[in-house]
This record gives sequence, structure tokens and C-alpha cells, in this order.
Amino acid sequence: MSTDDVVISLREIHKYYGDGEIRLHVLKGINLDVKRGEFIAITGASGSGKSTLLNLLGCLDRPTSGEFILAGRDVAKLNDDELSTIRNEEIGFIFQSFNLISALNVLDNVQVPLLYGPHVTSTKTARCRELLASVQLDHRLDHKPPQLSGGERQRVAIARALVNEPVMLLADEPTGNLDTKTGDQVLELIERLHAEGRTIVMITHDPEVAMRAERTVNMRDGLMFDVERP
Amino acid sequence: MIRSKQIELIRLGVTNLLGYPLRTFLTTLGVVFGVGSVIAMLALGAGAEQEILEEIGRLGIQNVIVNSVKPPETNKGNEQRSWISQYGITFTDFKQIKSTVPGLKSVIPVHMSRKQAWFGSKKVETTIYAVQPEYMSLFDLRTAMGRDLTGVDGAELARVCVLRAGLLKSLGIFGDPIGLTIQLGEDQAYEIIGILEDDKFRGYAREALAIDSSNSEIYVPYQTILGRHGTRSISRSSGTFEATDIELSQIVIEVTDLDNVLIVARMLERIFAINHEDRDYDIVVPLEALAQRRKTQQVFNMALVAIASISLLVGGIGIANIMLATVTERTKEIGIRRALGAKRHHILAQFLTETTTISTLGGVLGILLGLGLVQVLIFFTGWTAKITFNSIALSLSISMAVGIVSGIFPARRAAYLDPISALRHE
Repeated sequence: MSTDDVVISLREIHKYYGDGEIRLHVLKGINLDVKRGEFIAITGASGSGKSTLLNLLGCLDRPTSGEFILAGRDVAKLNDDELSTIRNEEIGFIFQSFNLISALNVLDNVQVPLLYGPHVTSTKTARCRELLASVQLDHRLDHKPPQLSGGERQRVAIARALVNEPVMLLADEPTGNLDTKTGDQVLELIERLHAEGRTIVMITHDPEVAMRAERTVNMRDGLMFDVERP
Repeated sequence: MIRSKQIELIRLGVTNLLGYPLRTFLTTLGVVFGVGSVIAMLALGAGAEQEILEEIGRLGIQNVIVNSVKPPETNKGNEQRSWISQYGITFTDFKQIKSTVPGLKSVIPVHMSRKQAWFGSKKVETTIYAVQPEYMSLFDLRTAMGRDLTGVDGAELARVCVLRAGLLKSLGIFGDPIGLTIQLGEDQAYEIIGILEDDKFRGYAREALAIDSSNSEIYVPYQTILGRHGTRSISRSSGTFEATDIELSQIVIEVTDLDNVLIVARMLERIFAINHEDRDYDIVVPLEALAQRRKTQQVFNMALVAIASISLLVGGIGIANIMLATVTERTKEIGIRRALGAKRHHILAQFLTETTTISTLGGVLGILLGLGLVQVLIFFTGWTAKITFNSIALSLSISMAVGIVSGIFPARRAAYLDPISALRHE
């Protein structure tokens, strides 16, 4: 496996919270490689360190020690502004609770990441419309999130995640707030994105959902284990 | 085509504010009233200043006016007091000024006397101003009807007069007054040759020229009064006599060069201090008065604006308060934006844009309110008010500054929220 193909590489990642007596060792040496175009699921019970790992992968937090290479850069050593840039350019977030801005309409929501990039061009705004069309929401551009159904909201969020052509899509329980049917539609959309060649890291507690990924790893007590597929 | 991100930020800020129209409106109110009152105060201040300028300007800043005043210590030498009270500017003073003070364009003597004017059986108390034609032109006393006093009138000791339009009615003259004859004092018949425009000297100017507020001045040639009547005057009122002998009631000194006005004023003070034992004169220097009145007015204006600014301050605190609440309320949104790549300065800029938009909007509304308020005040009080471009520019920049200042604290708070906990915030 050449290094070019590895988009995400975690080496001996440790994460501690707090100090002294109450110091918590949450991640106890995580190693993980995700190849370009791979669809991986991370499972684990609450308290397993899953959320902490998600925050690290999402560049919202830094590991206490270890090396985290994302698209060729060691993110563990970046400052707040640089991490923001990485989040903006390299990571597409898909959240359990969609996390749309309710004061903004659908189109503006999708355009939010553009605001924090280098500049807003008309090609990019045109791309927002295309993306919304590709998730069948081009007729809802002027709607505000509260006027949309859960499935529609998640599709807006997915369109938003794709705006800056990130190297990785990071989905945190993408179906957690959806009923089975719409959840399934969202998963199909994610599978379609995978089929288009995107790298997807999905965090879920649901083994059935995890089965939609190519590979599953399981977090337990701050450590990561490969899961054998039947 | 590149669309500026600043414009986009402002657009989104406005979108956000419009999302809560009532709250936005209420938040702007503080600034609206603040700016409104600042505008009104500045306008009234500028109006008052202009009024002073016009008032004193009418006296001519190149002039110095000396008035005769009744000395305060008349009861001092009771036993040697003559039956005729004698005080004020003398012909000696006048000659001395004319011959010794350099750089004067003209020195105009004025003699005033209280007299009754009669027309038929109608009688009115008036003040007779014996003046030279220069006096009339110097103080812009123009006739609306008939003709002005001329040098020839004086040389001929002509019994002619120019009077205020207001007097005609009280004298019972309703037709064409020109050519009619009125009685001034005991037995002097004067022909009306001109009627003055019905404007008045106001406030300070009236005081400086020793004109009373009755608007019943009668102007006659100086030489006529001096030559025919002399300077003594006896006025009879409610059974008592009052005899006065004031040689000159007033001297108006016109200085050629504006730079010399104050020097001339000092010289006059010296002359009068030497010639007069009592302080029976009053030297009025419009230039000095102007500077002083303006200074007083400016201090007053500043005080007014400072008071008005308090409401602006309160408005700013209101914005800061609402914004702090908004930051808490929008913690989740801040988390989302941070996750999507917003740097701290982006969040800072977003909140500052919102507060500045609110306060600028408040500023614009406040200016409109202020303009309206000024019109209402003018309508109901008749005060002079002047809205200057500067006051509008000042108010607008103050209101923008209020937005920035009141936004800084909440915006910093928003920018330094931890993105992870902000994202989890419900």
C-alpha cells in the first residue's frame, strides 16, 4: 500500500483529559489507516472513546500524543486557525442531529463552508445548486430547515459536506435521528457517494448500519479492534 | 466573478437579524433615541450659535459701541446733587476719540431721549434717536416706505423723522403716512419721511444698541435735535419731573481693520477711565462678545450632547446585553460554523457585523427621528435649529462605534467557545 493511497493515518494516538489524580486516559494508543475511497465504520458502546476519536478525526480536537496524518499533513501539531482550515477544506461533516442553521435557508446553509474558504465564486455557488439537485432538493432552496423533514435535512447536510470537495466524509450516527425508511435512503446516498470514490468514515453504534461499510473497527475501553466480517 | 465575502457576511448578518425582526427593532431602539437626541441637541446648539452670530454680527464685529449709563452711586453725594442729573459720554470724549484714536473709519454720535409722540389726540411714549445717516446704513436700518435720512436733512436742521411701522398703528395713522406731521415732545412738529422695515434687533444686539423692546423708535437727524433742542431732556411722568443732561447717549466707532478692534477697545477704555470719575459708560465690543458667547454656547452644546450621549451609552449596553443572550442562544450555531471551518476571527466578524448593522440601522433611524424632532421643536417653540452635515456624520460614526464596542465582548465570547462543547450544546 503506497502512502499516497492512505488518506488517514493514526499512529499511537493517546488522549488524556484533565490533570493529576483525575486524569482520564481515554484513547490508549490508536492505530488506524484509511485508504482513499474506503468506507469504514467505527462502532463502540458509549464510554469506549468513540466520541473522542470522532473529535480527533474531525480535527475539532488534538491528541495528547501520537501522529495523525490527514491528506499528508500532521494535524496533531496544527493551531486553531490551521485546524479550522483543515475542517473547512478536507472534512465533510454529517451529524446525527443534522446541525443545520435554522435561520438560514437551504441554499445558504449549503453555502456556509464557502464563507470560510478562500473566496466565494459563482462556480462554487453554482456547485451548491448542483449538489442540492443531486440530493433531490433543488425545489427546496428557499426553505428553512424547520420546514423540512428529517431525511431532507440530512440530505441538505450531506450536500453541505460535499461543497469544498473534502478528502474525507465524517458521518456521526447519520441515521440516528431518522426512521428506518429515511435512514435507509440516507445510507443509500452515502453508499452512492462511496461508489463515486469518496472516502467515508462512519461512526455508529448500530451493527446493522455498520454492515453497510466495507470494513468495521470496534472501539472498546480506549482501544481499537478489527471486526471480523462473517 | 468573485463575490466579496464581506458582502456575504453582511448579507448573512442582516438575514439573521431579519429572522428576529421584533427583537432587532427593540435592540435598535436605544441607539435610535440616543442618536435622535444627539442630532436634536446638536441642531439646537448650532441654531443657537447661528442666532448669536446673526445677532452680534448685525452689530458689526468691526464696531465698538459706547453707551451712556446711569452711574450706580447716585445716592452718594445727596447734598450737592443738582436738580438736573448729568452723566454719560461727553462731547469731549467724542472729540478726543476722533482726534486721538487711529485707524477709525467713522465715529458716529447718537443722542437719545424719551419723548411723547403725538398725532392728533393720540399719544405714544417713544424714544427719539438723533443719528447721522451713517448710523442708519451701518445697522442696516432700511426704510420700507418713503426715504432715508440724509446729510442734507442734518445740515438744514430739518424737522423730519423716520419711524417704525409699529408706531403708525399706535398713533392711529392708517393711510399713507409719508408727509404727515407728528408732534415730538412739547411743541416740535416733525414730518414723517420714511417708515422702517418692521424687523427688530433681538437679544444682545438690542441691548448693545440701547433699544427697548417696544419697537417704537423714531430716528431724526442728529444736528436737528442738537441744534434746535440741545442735550437737556425733561421727562414728565406721573407727576414727577426728571431732568437729564446727557451730552451723548452713544458713540458707535467703526474700526477700519478687524485686527485693530481689540486695540481700539483698550484705548477707549483708557480714555474713558481718565475722563470719567464714575462708571457712567459701557463699552460694548461685539467681537469680544461674539467670542465669549460662542464659547459659552459651545460649552453648553457639549453638555447637551453629553447628556444626550447617555442614552446612546444605554443603547450600546442594550445591544451588548442582547448580543450576550444571543451568543448563549446561538452556541449551537457557533459550534456548527466552527465545525464547518470558521476560524475564531470569522465568528468575531460575524457578531461584530451584526452589532454594527443593528447600531448603524439604529443610527439611520435615529437621524430620521432627530430630524423630525427638530422640525417639531421648531414648530412648537420657534427656536432656531440648524442641522449640519457634520452632526449627521458624527452621529452615524458614533452609532457605528457603539455597535463595534458593544459587540466586542459578546463576539469574543462567541469566538472563544470550545467548538466541541458548542456543537454538543442543545
